[in-house]
Amino acid sequence: MAAIRVDRLLHQYVDRGKAVTAVNNVSFEVEENQFYTLLGPSGCGKTTTLRCIAGLETPVGGTIELGGTVVVSDRGIVPTHRRDIGMVFQDYAVWPHMSVFDNVAFPLKVGKRLSSSVVKDRVHEALALVNMEQYVDRRATQLSGGQQQRLSLARALVRQPKVLLLDEPLSNLDAKLREQMRKELRLIQRRIKVTTIFVTHDQVEALSMSNRIAVMNHGVIVQEGGPRDIYLTPNSEFVAAFIGATNFIHGTVTSQGPVVGDYTVDSTVGPLVVRSEQELTVGAPVTIAVRPESLTLSSDPVPGMNSVEAQVDIGLFVGESVDYHLEMGGLLMRAKGSARSRFRRHDKVFVGIPPEDCTVIAEDGATSSRAVDHIEGEADSVGQTV
Amino acid sequence: MAATAPERIAPQTPPHTPVIRRRRRRRISGRAVLSFVTIAVLLYLVLGPLVMLVLAAFEDTSGGVRIRPPFPWTTANFNHVFANAHTYTVLWSTIIFSAGALAFAFAVSLVFAWLIERTDLPARTTVYVLLVAPQGIPALVSAISWSLLLNPTNGFLNLVLRSVFGMGAGSRGPINVYSLPWMILVQGMALVPLTFLLVTASLRGMNASLEDAARTSGAGFATIVRRVTLPLLRPAIIGALIYEFVTVVEAVDIPLVLGLPGHITVLSTQVYNASHPPVGLPDYGASSTYGIFLFALALVPLLFYNKMLGRSGSYVTVTGKSFRPKIQKLGRWRPLAIAFTWAYIFVSFVLPLLMLIWASIQPYFGTLSRQALKRITFTSYHKTLTSDLFTSALKNTIVVGIAAAAVSMVLAMLVSWIIVRSRSRFRWMADVLAFMPHAIPGVVIGLATLLIYLLLPLHVYGTIWIIVIAMGTQYVSLGTRLTTGGIAQIQPSLEEAAEASGAKARHVWRRVLVPLLRPVFLNGFLLVFLASIQNLTLPLMLYSTGNLVLSSLIWSRWDYGDATGTAVLSVVMTVITVIAALFLRGLSGKRQGE
Repeated sequence: MAAIRVDRLLHQYVDRGKAVTAVNNVSFEVEENQFYTLLGPSGCGKTTTLRCIAGLETPVGGTIELGGTVVVSDRGIVPTHRRDIGMVFQDYAVWPHMSVFDNVAFPLKVGKRLSSSVVKDRVHEALALVNMEQYVDRRATQLSGGQQQRLSLARALVRQPKVLLLDEPLSNLDAKLREQMRKELRLIQRRIKVTTIFVTHDQVEALSMSNRIAVMNHGVIVQEGGPRDIYLTPNSEFVAAFIGATNFIHGTVTSQGPVVGDYTVDSTVGPLVVRSEQELTVGAPVTIAVRPESLTLSSDPVPGMNSVEAQVDIGLFVGESVDYHLEMGGLLMRAKGSARSRFRRHDKVFVGIPPEDCTVIAEDGATSSRAVDHIEGEADSVGQTV
Repeated sequence: MAATAPERIAPQTPPHTPVIRRRRRRRISGRAVLSFVTIAVLLYLVLGPLVMLVLAAFEDTSGGVRIRPPFPWTTANFNHVFANAHTYTVLWSTIIFSAGALAFAFAVSLVFAWLIERTDLPARTTVYVLLVAPQGIPALVSAISWSLLLNPTNGFLNLVLRSVFGMGAGSRGPINVYSLPWMILVQGMALVPLTFLLVTASLRGMNASLEDAARTSGAGFATIVRRVTLPLLRPAIIGALIYEFVTVVEAVDIPLVLGLPGHITVLSTQVYNASHPPVGLPDYGASSTYGIFLFALALVPLLFYNKMLGRSGSYVTVTGKSFRPKIQKLGRWRPLAIAFTWAYIFVSFVLPLLMLIWASIQPYFGTLSRQALKRITFTSYHKTLTSDLFTSALKNTIVVGIAAAAVSMVLAMLVSWIIVRSRSRFRWMADVLAFMPHAIPGVVIGLATLLIYLLLPLHVYGTIWIIVIAMGTQYVSLGTRLTTGGIAQIQPSLEEAAEASGAKARHVWRRVLVPLLRPVFLNGFLLVFLASIQNLTLPLMLYSTGNLVLSSLIWSRWDYGDATGTAVLSVVMTVITVIAALFLRGLSGKRQGE
């Protein structure tokens, strides 16, 4: 059974006399214990969706079910404080007038009556979970950003809610801390097995932490799937471009074969062989998306695969690799070369484009791609649908 | 510079002599001179009055105050004041009056701030403007209009009530505005605009996710208000409370207009009465003693300010994207909230204004009737506005307003610059001196300034310049508050860059600091201008026939019993202050937009 069910959620607000649709008929389900991510650029409606689930925004239409309880429907709306949730805010929202203990104890004190010893135990338990036990007597204002973040997580978890809502909790941390918290947050979530919705605009966070990702844009879910689906087989230029750097090559399908599943596309950089799961119509306009790390660079043409001549604009050595910017038949392309490669500006190179790494996006938006057979189920995916 | 310096000194100096030698000779820098002069002026303006006050309180002043030995030291003033049972009545009235007015103002302001910022009350923007608008009505004017409305003899509303209840024409009441509860109410309403502005600004500035977090933690509406919203507002409320407390205890306008006829005296009117008795000689000793009481009373909350604020002063939180705070649906309380809101606006703002206008177009003060409608005339406007007294008072008011604003803002800029930038040893002194006038009640500043210029052989007493000096002293605190923030926002590197480009101190000021601070300066200038033209306390304390300003003119017409003339002047005064307030709002609005 789905722990969270959102059905045709519609949220509109009035801005300077005009109705703006922030969330447009969004539907999705989150399985028990899953880590579900809403990913998208700012203004895509992901935070509004989350706030509707929390009850901080009132949607115009649609239904929301949390753990089998309908909290939003045409018949009525359950107020936020009666929903079984815990929430971490982007700015942590740690109450500056309370101590660490009081902050964490707050959800227990405003809820049903608990004896003070139980409250104390539960608070310590929650603080231990986020490694903050030693700060229990501090004032909230004496904490660093990272500590406030942990405190805010402990406060969200102390009630042992059915659903944990995370609104960009890592975006205010510095890069190092963010990486560490990414791992810790995921470990904690897995340990206590709480169904989680995570809102972020950071693709790395989304890919590394989630069981499932819903990519949102302009108030709708553009693509939903496991992290590998989203990364390897984006269904649109938007998703391909949003999840990491991508090169786009436009062209027209000219023929099928020679191998089944292979097609030849006449593109702006010359004929390219691509492999597609989905059947393509000869004569149809398509876009080929290919990631910089799929491309190989060599000084001589490689026979037996797509090998296109290009000129190096600049190669930026970034340590683990060289970030090449190339000009290929009038197109600007990016390729990730090995750290040992040493092509220079104006060098002529041959770019190898493996047919299986070409994701074909039909111009009408539908995707076709190579088989996803090597996508193994996520180690901890409980209900992932592949 | 290295290239040009040797050339310049070449004629006198052998090539190998280091240039540094000549530079090492100590020169007094422009900065040091500026700091010294500023602190000296502050010392004179702030400490001078306080010294005078103490001298007068501990001297036998029957022969005037002495500032040279031999001092006629005595504690008679204190003995006399303490032995007088009246003193304790006055103290008690002061405490009840100020506590009551503050309680009323804060209760009303908090309710309205919450209604406007957090609920679906209709026409919130209009309500906001109408609640702030009475800021343009001087307290003196609102006291006068309430007296016209509710004085027991022929108060307009009393006449209406009497005819409703069928009371005889010769009877009095039923409401007596010359009583402590009504003084509290009128003073409370006068405090609401500023209190509301302060409270609502901090409620608006509060991070909405702090309340959202409580909501997602399972807290209901009442719990959130009690445990999160109000505690978070505490620093702002305490700050506003202390500021408004000083405003109440120092005010003479409402206590004079409404308290005097009912024989209710508070400390401020006591200071005024002792130094300006209707008959006999002024008793500066007693007046100063009461002044010291008043000073101490105003100082008490300031001393406990930090303690009351607790550790809540350092509420700094990370901010994220801002969402509108949750709007509370009023539901079945909505009609009640609407009724309360508009009833309050009518009573606090519309009714007093209508009363003034009505009184100003009647040849004499009477009830509303068919005959009264026929009596409507604008002759009193013509008579009053063309009188020499009015033209000279208007001229004086504008001169005093501009001069007071200029003096206090220039001083404030210099003081702030010393506080923020200077590495001088006397920096703390500037800080303390500029803060002190904030704690000295206006009536005390007035008294002390009066004493100084009665003695000093400067031709200041009796002119408008004595008012300017007193106002400069009083408003330098207000100005410094604004300019310190402004200067702190300018990075020191901008000044350093000017110095590195070869600018002298005066160049740094003229070319860098002044242009950058112009918006802050203008804003403060208008704020002080507005405050000083509304001020009755200082013009009254320093009153003489040669320095009449609008506020003191209104008071003297009122005291004389000229209701119509008073009403005309009050209407004119209100128009002037409203225009000044609009300018101020427009200016600060533009500044926020930049």
